[in-house]
Parts: sequence; C-alpha cells; structure tokens
Amino acid sequence: MMLEVENLNVHYGAIHALKGISFHLEEGEIVALIGANGAGKSTTLNTISRLNKPTTGDIRYKGESIVETPPQDIVTRGIVQVPEGRRIFPKMSVVENLEMGAYIYSDRQRIEADIEMVFGKFPRLQERRKQLGGTLSGGEQQMLAIARGLMARPQLLLLDEPSMGLAPIIVEQIFDIIREINQQGTSILLVEQNAQMALSIADRGYVFETGKIVLEGDAGDLLEDPMVKEAYLGGG
Amino acid sequence: MNKQSIQKSAASGLVFGIIVIFFALIGFTVVFSGLIQKALGQSLGVGQIPSISSFLIFLGLLGIWNGWRASRQDKHETLSVKKVLGRSAIAGLVAGVLVMVYALIVGALNNSGINLRTYLSQLSSESVRFFLFNQTIVVGGLIHVFYSTLMAVIGGFLAVASERSRERVKSTRESIQKWSQDRWLGKLQGNPYVSYVLMGVVLLLLVLLPRTWGAYWNYVMGTVGIYVLLGLGLNIIVGLSGQLVLGYVAFFAIGAYTFALTTSPEPHNLVWNFWIALGVAVLAAALSGILIGLPIMRLRGDYLAIVTLGFGEIIRILLRSDILKDFTMGPRGVRNIAGPTLFGRSFTTDVDFMYLIILAVLLSIFLARRWQESSIGRAWLAISQDETVAQATGVDTQKYKLLALSLGAAFAGLGGALFASRNQFTGPEDHALMVSINVLVLVIVGGMGSIPGVVLGAFALKGLPEILRELESYRLLVFGALLVVMMIIRPEGLWPARRPKLEVPVEQDHEPVPLPATAGGEK
Repeated sequence: MMLEVENLNVHYGAIHALKGISFHLEEGEIVALIGANGAGKSTTLNTISRLNKPTTGDIRYKGESIVETPPQDIVTRGIVQVPEGRRIFPKMSVVENLEMGAYIYSDRQRIEADIEMVFGKFPRLQERRKQLGGTLSGGEQQMLAIARGLMARPQLLLLDEPSMGLAPIIVEQIFDIIREINQQGTSILLVEQNAQMALSIADRGYVFETGKIVLEGDAGDLLEDPMVKEAYLGGG
Repeated sequence: MNKQSIQKSAASGLVFGIIVIFFALIGFTVVFSGLIQKALGQSLGVGQIPSISSFLIFLGLLGIWNGWRASRQDKHETLSVKKVLGRSAIAGLVAGVLVMVYALIVGALNNSGINLRTYLSQLSSESVRFFLFNQTIVVGGLIHVFYSTLMAVIGGFLAVASERSRERVKSTRESIQKWSQDRWLGKLQGNPYVSYVLMGVVLLLLVLLPRTWGAYWNYVMGTVGIYVLLGLGLNIIVGLSGQLVLGYVAFFAIGAYTFALTTSPEPHNLVWNFWIALGVAVLAAALSGILIGLPIMRLRGDYLAIVTLGFGEIIRILLRSDILKDFTMGPRGVRNIAGPTLFGRSFTTDVDFMYLIILAVLLSIFLARRWQESSIGRAWLAISQDETVAQATGVDTQKYKLLALSLGAAFAGLGGALFASRNQFTGPEDHALMVSINVLVLVIVGGMGSIPGVVLGAFALKGLPEILRELESYRLLVFGALLVVMMIIRPEGLWPARRPKLEVPVEQDHEPVPLPATAGGEK
C-alpha cells in the first residue's frame, strides 16, 4: 500500500476542517478527490505533505507513519506536492524554477538529465527556458509547477486543482500529461473540482462534502452515480 | 491649436509659476543663484546676495524646462514649429503672469515698510528686491513675464530641435558604440586582467584616500562604511530571505553594548582585548538573531514588521531604563570604550580606524557574496518568492529563515561594535528607530538583494547629505527630493540585483509574451 489515511482530523482554530476521513492509494494508481469548494480536499493534500498539522489520525506512507515527519523530509521520501493556483517562483527563470524543484538533490548530471526529461514532456517550457516564471501564461505556469514537482523525482505526486482557471484545451493537454506521468510509474493523488475531467483519468475516486468523505468507488462507477451526476457533473 | 492643448500648456505654466513662487518663499532662489554664481567661478561671501545675472540663469533654466515640457504633450505626435510656439508661449505667459502677481504683492508689501520676515524668515527686504531684479515693482514684474515667455519659447524650440536631431543622435551614438566595441571595449571585456587592474585601482584608492582627505571625510566615510555593514546584513534578511524586519537597530545596539560593556572600565571594569570583544559582540548579535527569530518564525509580512519594530524599541527602552541602570548605565550611556589595538600598539587615529572599517566592509562583502551565490542563497531566494512552495520543494524554511536572521544580525553586531569603538561612547539614543529606517531605505534605494546596491545606497543615504552641506538649511529638502527622484528614475534601485533577462522566443507564431510587470516589483 502506497498511502493510507486513517481517521484524519484537522482543525483550523475553531473550524473543524476534516472530520475523520480515511482513504487509501495503491501503488501506480490515480486517485481523485472531488467535491465543492471548502469540502476539505486541499486541506487533505496539505496535511499529507505536512504543510498542515493534523489534530488526530494517522497517515502511513509505504507502511510507515509520516504525521511527525517535517515537510522537507516528506519531499525527500518521495511525496511531492504541486500546490494550488500555479504557484511558481515568479522571479526565477523557467530553468531556475526546475533547478529549485531538484533542491534536495545534488547530482548535477542527473538533474540536467531530468531537466531534459521534463522539457520532453513540456516542449513549451523549453522554448521559454530563460523567461521569468511570472511572465508565463497561466497554462505555462501550471505546466511549470507540475514540471518542478517532477524534478523532485516523486513516487507519489499530489496535484492540487491543476485545471483551475485554465482554458479547456489547456486542461486537456495537462491531463494527458498527468496520465503519461502515471503510466511511467508515479502514483498520483489528484484534487479537482472538475469532476468529469478528474474521474476520466482516475482509477478510483472519493467524493468530499464538508470535511467528510460521502462516497467512494471506481472512477467509472462514480461517473455514472446519480448523486455525483446531480452535484458535480451538471445534472443528468 | 485645440482647446485641450491650450489647457495643457496653461496647466504646465501654472505648475512652473507655483514652483518659482514656492522657491522664492523659502529663499531657495537666492541660495540656488548663489550656487550658480560659485559654479561659474565667482566668489560670494556668506550672507551676500548673489548677482542678478546668476538669478537670470536660474530662472532661465526653469523657464526653458517649462517650455520644453509644455511642448511635448504627446509622445507620438511630430512637433511642428507652429504648435510648439503656441504651447510654449502660453505656458511661459501663464507662469510669468503668476510670478508677476506674486512679485507685485510682495514688492508692494515690502515697499510699504512691512517686515515680511515676521511671517517668512527668508523674505528679507533685500531678497524681495533681488527677486524684482533691483527694479521697481512694475518693471520687475514685467521683466518676469517677458523673460518667462521668452525662455519657454526657447525651450519649445529646443524640444523641436532635439526631436528633429534625435534620429541622427541615435545613429551617431550607435556607430560610436559599435566602434568602441570593436576597437577596445570588446577586447577589454574578454580580458581577465581588466578586472584585476580595476580591483587594483580600487584597492589603491582605498589605501591612499584615508591618508589624504582628512579627518572630516574619514569620519563621514567611516559612517558610510558602518552603514554598508548594516545594509549588507539587512539585505540578507529583507532582500534575500524576504523577511521584513523593522527592528534591525536592536542587533546594532546589542553589538555596540556588548562591545562597550566588555571594554569600558565603567560599569563592570571588564577591559577585554579589542579583538576578543569584537568577536563576542558579533556572536552575541548573531545569537540574539536566533533567539528573537524562534518565537516569530511563524509570522509573515506586516505582522513580522510590526513585531520586530516593537522589539527594536523594547531594546532601546530597556537600555535607558532604571531597571538595567547598574548594568548598562541607563540614559547616560557607556563611556571610555576601548579603541583597537594590534600587537600591543593602539591604533586609534582616524586613518587607522578608516582602514579597520574598510577591512571589515571588504570581508563582509566577500562573505555576503559567498552566501548569496551558494545553495543557501538559492534557498533564501525561493523563500522570499513563495515560502509555501519553497517548503514543498524540500527547503527547510525555518532553518534558513533563522540563518538569515542570525547572519544579518551578526553584520549589525560588527557594525555596532565598530561604531561604539570609534565614538568611544554609546548611549540608548544611538540606537533609535531612525537607524532601522535609514538602513531599510538604503537597501531599497540601492536595490533589494544587490550587494553593489547596498554600497551605493549607503553612499547616497549617508554620504550625500554631507556633500549637500553647501546647501545649508536646504540640505534635507534637496536630499528628500533626490531620494524621490532616484526612486522615480530607478524604481528597482540604483544597482538592481541581476536577474535573468527576458528572452523572447524565436518562433513568431506564439501569443505575445506578457509584460514582466505581472511578476510584480523588482525583477
């Protein structure tokens, strides 16, 4: 088992953001967490990568608990988050952003090979390699954020709303690449509001509502589920 | 001429008229004319009214600028003589009439024997007559109108001439650049010895200057040097790691007092060796950086600024309080602080001390550069741009933020110790909020995150006021204006940190590259 989350509770002050959620992810899977704004999806990702601290509950990665592991060590162990909202380093060039992604490594040759590898996946970034991150278009910034995540050589990639605010054609490109990354052996935990898109590439999915998981199942079944259709896929 | 164009010209004239009146009210006309007279090589005694011709030059320059500005209303149009003539004449006339009205009023009041100095200290009878070119009120006023109009029209013609010749100037400049690039600049740039020679010249200057320019400039430049140290430290904290710390003076105070208390006979009778005390002061400041950093690590932006601001004040108030009076001498401060010694010989002359400060500055620049260019610098850069993402890429943000605080504090401690040692005294008022603000301003004026920027900024902020002493009481006015002008002309600082340049993609079929402005702030 790649990742097991068990009875996770998170509080922001008086707000009970996650109310005892449990889910798991097998090696090689794409698992989608879907749900409305404020349902707790991003909180879940942030808690796994330890940008948040859980109140109670356990997170096990490859059988070991990681709730006490500091965030930088989470990255070293192979869990890499691509935060929400195309967050890149705006005043670093594309290449510098990628090098920053490989911050935990020092093997120069392999880092350069990795840069070539992500340029292969995102040719657009190669064209703009010396441009400052802040001057890229929205889609390019999202690509750069994912590419930077890949530079840390993740075994488990946590993607937070990669489709947010992007044109449908760009979203499709990005989801194609996500599937490709997965096929090359990286497990993916995908948080999305665009349920249709997310479930179309995921193996399984969990539906979040106000801090709880209300539904889970195979992605195909969820796409057909009347409740999911009603709430997230724009009616029957 | 259309109505809009007339309005714009009149508005420009109005502004310039008000500027001239304002200058006259604060006596700036007299001072500046005096400076022009001196610049032309004529002597001028203290308190003496300068010659009318220098005043005419001063007014003429303002008038030409007025006409120039009024003529160039739209960047994209080509100027015609007719257009320009109308615009500049209107601007000059409006300014001139405004000034005439002022001159009539002030002149009449002056003639009727009212002492205007009761209301405005600069409006002496002589200065009012000076403003009227030593003529009667009416003649003086009319001269203002004619002169202002004439100069504005000249300014307008200059604007046309400069625009017509711009193409030619540009091509000439380009060919000169190309020539110099081919002939010698290109060769020089590739030659490694050039930088050695430059460095040698700088070193030679650093060795020779303190011996030649006298105690006064050694004092001024020593202060600049100490502010370079402070700037380098704050640059690490604010410019590199992106933490807005406003109580930086606290570390300066800790360095100064640690050094003072360990080398002064009073109050503890600890008379340590200069170098040991210096080291201890630096360590104490660095340690205080960590101690202060720990509780405030979770704060960002405005909150961090407010808390550290309070911290700086707490230190100063503690130092002057009665609670610590036996320990720090309270508001009296610590006296008889030791000067530097080397092999048993004390070297406390101004020249020796200048050398010591230069040495400290060079060492600090060397260290700061090393850190900035190492992986530590990269981690700081990442934290300053997006702390959360930095954490997500595996940077131990807490560790590097603390490191930045303590290294920055160490520089302040060094600066503080040297400051206390040079003055042989330090008291609570040496460590007021103004020091923090000055250092922050010099970092911003110089260019955030840039080491040469810090050096230039320190000169601009601490050296410039000394150079401006000629201007006497207008020193701070001009200094403030210069700071504003600097930030308008070079909003990223005098010498901005070097960041990768934009590279426009070769292919043409992409959407246009968005402007770098979306990156926000400095590049």
